[in-house]
Amino acid sequence: MFAYYLRLAMQSFRRNPGLTALMVMAIALGISVCMVTLTSYRAAARIPLPHKNEMLYAPNVDSWDPANPYDKDNALYAPDLLTHRDARGLHASTIPDRKLIMYKAGGVLSGGTNGSPEYVAARMTSGDFFPMFETPFLYGSGWNAKADEGPEPVVVLSKETNEKTFGGANSVGKTVMWHDREFRVVGVLNDWEPAPKFYDVSNGSFDDPEKIYVPVNWGQIMELGSDGNTNCWKTEDINSYQDFLNSECIWWESWVELRTPAKVAAYRKFLDDYVIEQKSRGRFQRPLNNHLYTIEGWMQRNNVVGTDNKAMLIMAFAFLAVCLVNTVGLLLAKFLNAAPVAGVRRALGASRRDIFWQHLTESGVIAVAGGIAGGLLGIAGVWALRAWYGRFVQDLERSLPVDYSTLGIAVAISLAAGIIAGLYPAWRIGRAAPASYLKVQ
Amino acid sequence: MGLRPILSSLMRNGAGALLVAIQIALTLAIVVNAVFVTSERITKMGRPSGIDDQNMFALPVTGFEKNFDFFAMVRADMAMLRDMPGVVDAMPTNHIPLSGGGSSTQLYALPDKKGEKSPVAYYGTDEHAVNTLGVKLADGRNFSATDVEYRPKDLQGFPGTAVVTRAFAEVLFPKDKDNLVGKTMYDDQSKPIVIAGVIEQMHGAWVGWDKLDRVLLSPVVGPGPGIRYLVRTKPGQLDAVMAAAEAALRKRDPNRVVGKLRTVKNYKQSSYASDSLTAVTLSVVTGLVLTFSALGIFGLATFNVNTRTRQIGTRRAVGARKRDIVSYFMAENWLITTLGVVVGCGLALAVGFWLSNQFALPRLNLYFLVGGVAGLWALGQLAAWQPALRAAKVSPAMATRSV
Repeated sequence: MFAYYLRLAMQSFRRNPGLTALMVMAIALGISVCMVTLTSYRAAARIPLPHKNEMLYAPNVDSWDPANPYDKDNALYAPDLLTHRDARGLHASTIPDRKLIMYKAGGVLSGGTNGSPEYVAARMTSGDFFPMFETPFLYGSGWNAKADEGPEPVVVLSKETNEKTFGGANSVGKTVMWHDREFRVVGVLNDWEPAPKFYDVSNGSFDDPEKIYVPVNWGQIMELGSDGNTNCWKTEDINSYQDFLNSECIWWESWVELRTPAKVAAYRKFLDDYVIEQKSRGRFQRPLNNHLYTIEGWMQRNNVVGTDNKAMLIMAFAFLAVCLVNTVGLLLAKFLNAAPVAGVRRALGASRRDIFWQHLTESGVIAVAGGIAGGLLGIAGVWALRAWYGRFVQDLERSLPVDYSTLGIAVAISLAAGIIAGLYPAWRIGRAAPASYLKVQ
Repeated sequence: MGLRPILSSLMRNGAGALLVAIQIALTLAIVVNAVFVTSERITKMGRPSGIDDQNMFALPVTGFEKNFDFFAMVRADMAMLRDMPGVVDAMPTNHIPLSGGGSSTQLYALPDKKGEKSPVAYYGTDEHAVNTLGVKLADGRNFSATDVEYRPKDLQGFPGTAVVTRAFAEVLFPKDKDNLVGKTMYDDQSKPIVIAGVIEQMHGAWVGWDKLDRVLLSPVVGPGPGIRYLVRTKPGQLDAVMAAAEAALRKRDPNRVVGKLRTVKNYKQSSYASDSLTAVTLSVVTGLVLTFSALGIFGLATFNVNTRTRQIGTRRAVGARKRDIVSYFMAENWLITTLGVVVGCGLALAVGFWLSNQFALPRLNLYFLVGGVAGLWALGQLAAWQPALRAAKVSPAMATRSV
């Protein structure tokens, strides 16, 4: 029966090719606009490491100005970064299964067998970074707690850096110069481009990962400041690196791995105790305002998806709604126009249900055609945007990926939409009394 | 001709008309808000930056060897760049204007953090900054070569003179708007900074910041090992000078890292990328939504005409003129459009209110709503025009024929 309905649908399309094309186009454009906005929304809303969402936490404490909240638009937020003192203070806790403190620095990388000296961004971090964030290694591995403490002159290179510096060869055991100091390569990462860059959203949610990874204590030995955001509120005499380390300026980040709810609770208590203890020393004069964010919560806290992205998605779906209302109207017109044919079929014994299914099949075919066309158009749209914006937006592959799985979503949305659009016209035509059409024929 | 017959005919075949009305309502709500947001973004992107951003490029330079003479490098590079053909001027700076990266600090009108205060984006540079940026000095003077401090260590505080934008100075000294030169500002350590010159207008680092036009140029360079160069070229020579400058810089001293050269125009586009993406997407949606609404109205009007040929023929046979037929269909369309527009107004206001509430966007300007209503009325009549004319062509003889 379905095949017969399909044949009838094809005949009907041939009768009104213009009207059919208009309906397919309406659905296709509605879908494609939705696809483009959905692509950028989904890229931003994706949660990296979903299986660790309930294990990894970013602690936040409110060390900010007693007179003003950190974020005037949302006074409930604590600062998104930590002072050096608090990063160290929180890092002293033995509750977490794994823990890291880090910041972003930069300097000239030289040495190696290939390439010329280059200024590279470096992540100054604890060695737990690699197992916590499950970074893939091409060669070697990260470093252990002993190397953290030393600190030992070890470094992990990104795949790209290894290609530039060593031509892609296994460089474990070889040395590079960074800030004119010798470091031994212990590991080379494989392709790893977390998007969004959840562990450092305050310096750009879709920025490139750093080119090299260095034990964080080297930062203080080499007196390296932050290459990322540094925010200060307090009037302090800062005349040396040591003054800066002891200041109320925020520039550090921390993550902890807590595998059981009991540990989460214990760590929350630790945070409160830490702040209360600091209060007794005259710091932390704002109300107790500690947070422990999951990856997902952290991305919401930092508005990674972005206001425009959300508003645009809503606009796109409103546009799809217009396209669908349009299609319902056109379908209705088309079906009623061909009502005499349905009348004859009814007179020859087709039931109302048959007529209904026949017409629903017709609208389903239009929907699928519109969905496929819309999906392809949407991919073309993403490509076009990337071609246009790629000239001046560096991180576009990650914020606007060409995501073919969205094509499936497009066809599914379209089919659902087309069937909804076809319901009323198909029902309406099924109810028409056959006699009225037969009379005039 | 009264509206009664139109109304009664609409009542009997209401579904199609209702669908068109819904479509018009949604269209109005989308278009009015989309056009409003788009125009906001276009205004934002079109603000003059005050600097010659179309004819400038920038690059980072970093020394890395031990005992590297940073200041000798800066002086030699600057002398070389300023001498190159096609270069108007060049300056060293800690940050690139319009790039989205920068530093800001809070300054006060009085010592001890008293008086008017304001945050300001600052650039540490030398006496060539005003000419390199191409900003207009409204009052006072530029700082001189002897004012510039080359600091080997990272010290707090600014040198004692500065060139600031009028927008910034007027916030600090609202009562002396005509007499800003010579006024003393203070940092949070109460260190004084005297305003040497006032820039008419200039944009700083962050295009999304509502205090974008508060900028301070300070005569300080250092401490290294990294710095950025900003170069302004003669119009039309940007690409050629960039290529020549890169080669010359690499050749002059290979013992430092010359980073990627980028035009300031490119930085600016990058900073405004999300605004422009929003504007482009919304414009496309607006165009499509209007097209489809027009096609939908057209399709339904055509359908109405087709199904009523006998009725039209009968009316013509009993004396209706062609004009009457046209006006009948136009009036019918006008009624449907009006219903859609009335509902759409409410919807547009609701969407506008919700957008401004939820996403901190500016409140919908009502002129846009008025424009949208007028536009949709016109669009509706335009789309119904051709089918109405076709209806008028129906011969009175149709009355006697079966379909």
